[in-house]
Amino acid sequence: MNQSPTIALFPEAGFGAGLNCVGIAQELRRQGANPVFICHPGFTGVFAEYGFKEYHLPQTIKNSAESVEDYWQSFISTHRPHFNLNSIEQLPTYVAPTWEAIVDTAIAVEDDLAVLLDRIKPDAILLDNVIMFPAIAKAGCPWVRIVSCAETELPDPGVPPYLSGIPVENERDCAAFRKEYEKCTRASHDRYNKFRKSRRMPDLPPGIFIEPSPTLNLLLAPSAIRYDRKVPLPEKQFVFLEGCVRREPAFELPAFPVTDGPLIYTSFGSLGAIDTDLIRRMIDVFATIPARFVVNVGGFEESYDHIPDNVFLGNWFPQPSVVAVSALFIHHGGNNSFCEALFHGVPSLVMPYCWDGHDNAQRAEATGAGRRVDRAIWTAQTLRSEIMSLLEDHETQERLRGISRQMQTKSGTKKAAETILDAVSGTR
Amino acid sequence: MKLGDHLPEQAFSEACGVSRTPIRSAFKILKLNEILEWRQEEGYFLSMSTADQATKALQEVQEAEDSLAHRILSDRAERRLDEVQSVSALSRRYSASRNAVLIALKILSQDGIVTQLPGRAWAFQPMIDSPKSIDESFDFRLTMEPQAIVAPGFSLDIKRAGLLRSQIDDFLHAEEIRATVGGFRRIDNDFHSLIAQCSGNRFVRGSLVAHHRLRKASRMGNSMPSFRLRQAMVEHLEILDSLERNQFDLAADQMIVHLRRSRIRRPEAANRGIPPLQRGPRT
Repeated sequence: MNQSPTIALFPEAGFGAGLNCVGIAQELRRQGANPVFICHPGFTGVFAEYGFKEYHLPQTIKNSAESVEDYWQSFISTHRPHFNLNSIEQLPTYVAPTWEAIVDTAIAVEDDLAVLLDRIKPDAILLDNVIMFPAIAKAGCPWVRIVSCAETELPDPGVPPYLSGIPVENERDCAAFRKEYEKCTRASHDRYNKFRKSRRMPDLPPGIFIEPSPTLNLLLAPSAIRYDRKVPLPEKQFVFLEGCVRREPAFELPAFPVTDGPLIYTSFGSLGAIDTDLIRRMIDVFATIPARFVVNVGGFEESYDHIPDNVFLGNWFPQPSVVAVSALFIHHGGNNSFCEALFHGVPSLVMPYCWDGHDNAQRAEATGAGRRVDRAIWTAQTLRSEIMSLLEDHETQERLRGISRQMQTKSGTKKAAETILDAVSGTR
Repeated sequence: MKLGDHLPEQAFSEACGVSRTPIRSAFKILKLNEILEWRQEEGYFLSMSTADQATKALQEVQEAEDSLAHRILSDRAERRLDEVQSVSALSRRYSASRNAVLIALKILSQDGIVTQLPGRAWAFQPMIDSPKSIDESFDFRLTMEPQAIVAPGFSLDIKRAGLLRSQIDDFLHAEEIRATVGGFRRIDNDFHSLIAQCSGNRFVRGSLVAHHRLRKASRMGNSMPSFRLRQAMVEHLEILDSLERNQFDLAADQMIVHLRRSRIRRPEAANRGIPPLQRGPRT
């Protein structure tokens, strides 16, 4: 093996996976490897800003700026109402079309990905995605799967179904959800298996779009929120991390006209930011609470005016650094957000809108790491009450401080990098 | 420095690369705040004995400088104030006299940030506070900043460039946690303002100086990773190197590269199965 192995990181085209990979790549670089990124169109420069070399999948006609804008416009008007549905109602309305789109992208990039991998000739590939790409399995080097969604992504009888947000004890609902999930994903799954067959890859079982890596699989779920699996995952092949929190510059607290009160950070990710009506309603509630709120509104700052004196909006924040100085984190249940809150010992108020946000919201309540709010039915009074009760819950805060201490002594990024390099060198 | 040390105006004027007039004005403010004392025929002397005292006094100066104009500007940049404002509404919000509000608005109008409308209303001018306006600002700068360098008569202010170099060096050698985005923005604005002010073309100079004032006033929300902050600082040093060697064409090209790298933006939105959205949606 090369003295400085080249590790190609291939995150899906989202911020969660992308920034999770940045954390691991920072540590790989520190440990002497040469991490490089394979980027989807649109992510050009995102990883270069962290000092990593980027290789780009080509822009297609479908990805032209104009067609992407049309796509998003249609996506927003179609799916915004679906985010108010419960997880089982989202299966036909949101999850099924999303899987169709994911399968489309996997098929579309396959040939270009194979060409890029042949050019990079990596010593290992890190795939942080919810779907497998045959080009990766055939690249002639070990590949590592990063499970950056909730632990539910790896099924087990002791784990609730992926994307359900249902407690595992509720067996009847879990069974109904599993059945409906397989039904709703069948068409895209059949299509994906056909594609795999055309690339001489074995079929995957219903509802499963990616297999475990034979070499190494990394899971982010910290021990504080892990499930008691009925079939334990083989330790050599599956490594749990204590989160995987990246380093960002220190957060400079903005000057609020209101100078006191605890700091509360709110972010629903770039997708959640499209629901400006909901965020505006929340800001009206924030104005009545004796705290200071930093709110990530993505690229939609122009949708807001009359901002209260205790609220500060921005289109991007160095999130781990903001969470570190916050007393409460209001988020959508994205796995990075949940892990960052735990890493810094901050309670979560989770308002999920889709995907594994439901799973993390349920897990936050079940493990006492936070509370869940239903985005469709909250009122000013209930939201205010949830925020105040979490701010005053000293028992939870103390418990979370303990979890934070434990996570911070076992850096997830460091362990990930060490394990990957061991796997690449064959010492694992 | 210790209690009773003499502070010669000339030395500070040279260190800061400015004339003695602003130094004298600054010393007067420090005297009013009892940080310095003035002795007839001798000049200014330090009247603080401990670092804590000096820090506290400087904080007080900072608060005094945190004027009504600054508060109005911050609130506008943070979308707390509407585009059109009346003096009486501002007077109520800030519990300030009408006269104080008028002075603040006049200060802001000198920088082109507000203009008086017919009647009693005042209107804020567009700021650089949205993805589209940030993009337009980069378009403008990509045209004008290289032009500021290659226009005949460019003359680098060596003293100010030297001061800037030392600030950049401090930034580059600071611990990662101390090299903040806010610290970066201050130096970055000083650097680009220096380039503008050294231009030989008075119209380019005027437009860019005004634009950098607007950039400074606007709340540019984007945070950047430490790597890019440091990389951009190194690019500043490389441009200064070329300017000091009178390689103006090279410096102008380096400026283009620097601005093009700086304008790279993250997608506005991303989700599984959808190509990332580069610019905000149309509605």
